[in-house]
Amino acid sequence: MVQWNMRQVMYEAQRALASPVRNPRMATVIGRLLGLAFVLCFGTGLYSHFLQEPLPGMHFATRPELLYQFTQGTHIIAGIACFPLLLAKLFIVFPDLFQQPPVKSFLNFLERASIALFVGASLVQITIGLLNTYQWYPWPFPFRETHFALGWVLIGSLALHIGIKLPIIARVWRKEADDGSGDDDHLTDAVARDRTATPEAVRLFGSSRPTGVTGRLLAWIDATPDLRADATAERAPSGLDTGSASASRDDTADAEDAARTAHTRLSRRGFLTTVGVSVGTVVVLTTGQTVAPLDAVNAFAPRKKGVGQQGVPVNRTSKQADVAADALAAGWVLTVAHAGVERSFSRSELLAMPQTEVDLPIACVEGWSQLARWRGVRLSDLADLVSADAAASFRLTSLEKKGAYRQTTMGSEYVRDQLTLVALELNGETLDLEHGYPARMIAPGRPGVLQTKWLSRIEAMDV
Amino acid sequence: MSTARTAGNRSVEASGSGELGPALRVTRIVLITLGLAGLAWGAYVLFDSVKPARIPGIALWMGAAIVLHDGVISPLVFFCGILLRRAGHRISGTVILVVQGAIVVGSVMSLIVVPLLIAQSRGTGNPTVLPLDYGVNFAVFWAAVAVVTAAVSFGLYARGRRRLR
Repeated sequence: MVQWNMRQVMYEAQRALASPVRNPRMATVIGRLLGLAFVLCFGTGLYSHFLQEPLPGMHFATRPELLYQFTQGTHIIAGIACFPLLLAKLFIVFPDLFQQPPVKSFLNFLERASIALFVGASLVQITIGLLNTYQWYPWPFPFRETHFALGWVLIGSLALHIGIKLPIIARVWRKEADDGSGDDDHLTDAVARDRTATPEAVRLFGSSRPTGVTGRLLAWIDATPDLRADATAERAPSGLDTGSASASRDDTADAEDAARTAHTRLSRRGFLTTVGVSVGTVVVLTTGQTVAPLDAVNAFAPRKKGVGQQGVPVNRTSKQADVAADALAAGWVLTVAHAGVERSFSRSELLAMPQTEVDLPIACVEGWSQLARWRGVRLSDLADLVSADAAASFRLTSLEKKGAYRQTTMGSEYVRDQLTLVALELNGETLDLEHGYPARMIAPGRPGVLQTKWLSRIEAMDV
Repeated sequence: MSTARTAGNRSVEASGSGELGPALRVTRIVLITLGLAGLAWGAYVLFDSVKPARIPGIALWMGAAIVLHDGVISPLVFFCGILLRRAGHRISGTVILVVQGAIVVGSVMSLIVVPLLIAQSRGTGNPTVLPLDYGVNFAVFWAAVAVVTAAVSFGLYARGRRRLR
C-alpha cells in the first residue's frame, strides 16, 4: 500500500511537471548546445593545461599572438553560457527525477548514477570556475587540480550520456530530417499525451486526468471558467470562431485542438527565446573583459579593460607575492645561465642593450586579457650571450618566495620567438612594481601566469 | 512491469537499441566506451593530484549542488510557474511568456552577479579584481529588465485588444 502511494506521488509529480517544453526534442536541441559548450570548455581547458604542464616533447604555436587570449576567452565565455544552458537542460528533464519505480534494472541504476555524477560535476565545475574568476575560494579542495579532474569526469559523462541516449537523439534527428522543420514537429510529449489515457494512468486513476492533490492543484490553476473563452480565442489562430454559441461539439473540439497546438508552439518558442536571451545577456554583460568591442557593456565581468597600474589589470600583487623588498633592492641583477656560464645584468645594463618594442596581450587563465605595448631585450639575444642551444628550453625563476609559478619552464619555440622579451617598460613607462619591476617575461600566446614577473634568473636547460 | 512514462522518461529499456542501425550501434558502443574511459581517467587524475583528505569535500559539493538544484531551485521555478499559469488565464498567453522569460533572464544573471557582490564585499586584496560598481550595475540591470518587459507586454496587450475588436 505504501509502495502504491509512493508510486502515485511520483506519478503525480511527473504529471504536475508536464509541460510542452519538456520533451525529447527540446532535450536534444538544448543538449546539443550545452554539449558544444562543454566540448569548447574542455578543449580550451586542456590546451591551457598543457601550456602550463606540457608533456615531454610538446611544442606549441606562438602565432597568432592572440591565440591564448582567444582560447581562454572562449573557455570563460562558454563556461558562462553553460549557466543558462545547463539550467534549461535540467528544467527539461526534471520529471525524470520522479521515475517510478526509482530503479528498474541494474543498467537503469548505472544510468541514473551516471546522470547524478554528470549533473553534480557540471554544477560544481561551472560554479567553482565562475568563483575562481572572482578570486573567491569558499571550498575545501584545491581549485586547479579539481577543475582539471572534473573536466575529464564531465567529458566522460557527456560521451556516456550521448551514447546511452543515442536512440532518442537519432529519433529526433530523423524526425527533423523528415519534415525539415524544427519547431512544428509532433513528437509525443506531455501535452499531447495528456489527452489520450495512458494504460498506466487508466489503471491507477481510471482516467488520464490527474487526481488527488495534483489534480485539485491543477484544477485550481486552470479554473477560470468565465475567462476561458477569451483566453482560448486569443491563443487560437485568427479566423477560428470559437465563441459561437451554436458551434457543434466537433467544432469546439477542433478549436480546442487548434488552441492547444498554438499554445504548445508558443510555449516552445517562448522557452527557446528565453534560453537564447539568457545566454545572450550573461555573455554580453561579462565578455567585455576579453572582447574589446563589448567593453562598453561590461557590467558584470570581474575585470575591466584599462583598469590597473599603467592601464593593465594585475593577477598577483607584489604584496601577495611578497617581493617588494627584493624587487626594489639596489643590488638587483638578472642572472642568465647556461652550462656553468653565468652572466649577471643590472637593470641599466639591460636598458643599454638593443631594445625591442612589441604589442602583446596579457591573457589570464581567468579569461580577461589586455593588449599592451612592451619594451625590453629580446630573450633570444640573452640566450645567445650565454651560447645556449637553439633547441634549449629555459627555466625562469621569479623573486617570489613561494607560489606554484615561482619557477616555470619556457619551451624553445617561445625562447627563440622574436616577440619574446625580457620587458623593462610597459605602455611607455618604467615597468610598475605590480607588473614585475625590475624585469618580467612577455611572450606571445602564453597564459599570464607564465609571463613571469619580478625575474631573477633565466637558465638554459640541457637539450 | 508497466511504467509511468512521461515526456522526460527515457530509460535504457524504453529507448532500447533494437531500432538502431549498425552504424549508430557502433557509435553508441564507442561513445559509451570512451565515456567510461574518460570517467576512469578523471577519477585517476583526481586521486593522483588531490590529497585524499580533500576528496570528501568534492563529493560533498557535488551532492550539495544536486540537492540545491533539485530541492530548491526547481521547486521554486515550479511554484513561480504555477502562479503565472494561474494568472495566465486573465492575461494573454504571450504576455505571460514574456514576463516568465524576463524573470528567468533576470534570475540567471542574478545567479552570476550575487556571488560577485559577495566576493566584492569580502575584498580581494587586489584593486584590479572586481573593480566596478556592480551593485549599481545590478540595480540598473533589473530596472532595464522591468522596463523592457513592461514595454513589450504593453505592446502585445495593445495588439491583442485590437485583434479582439
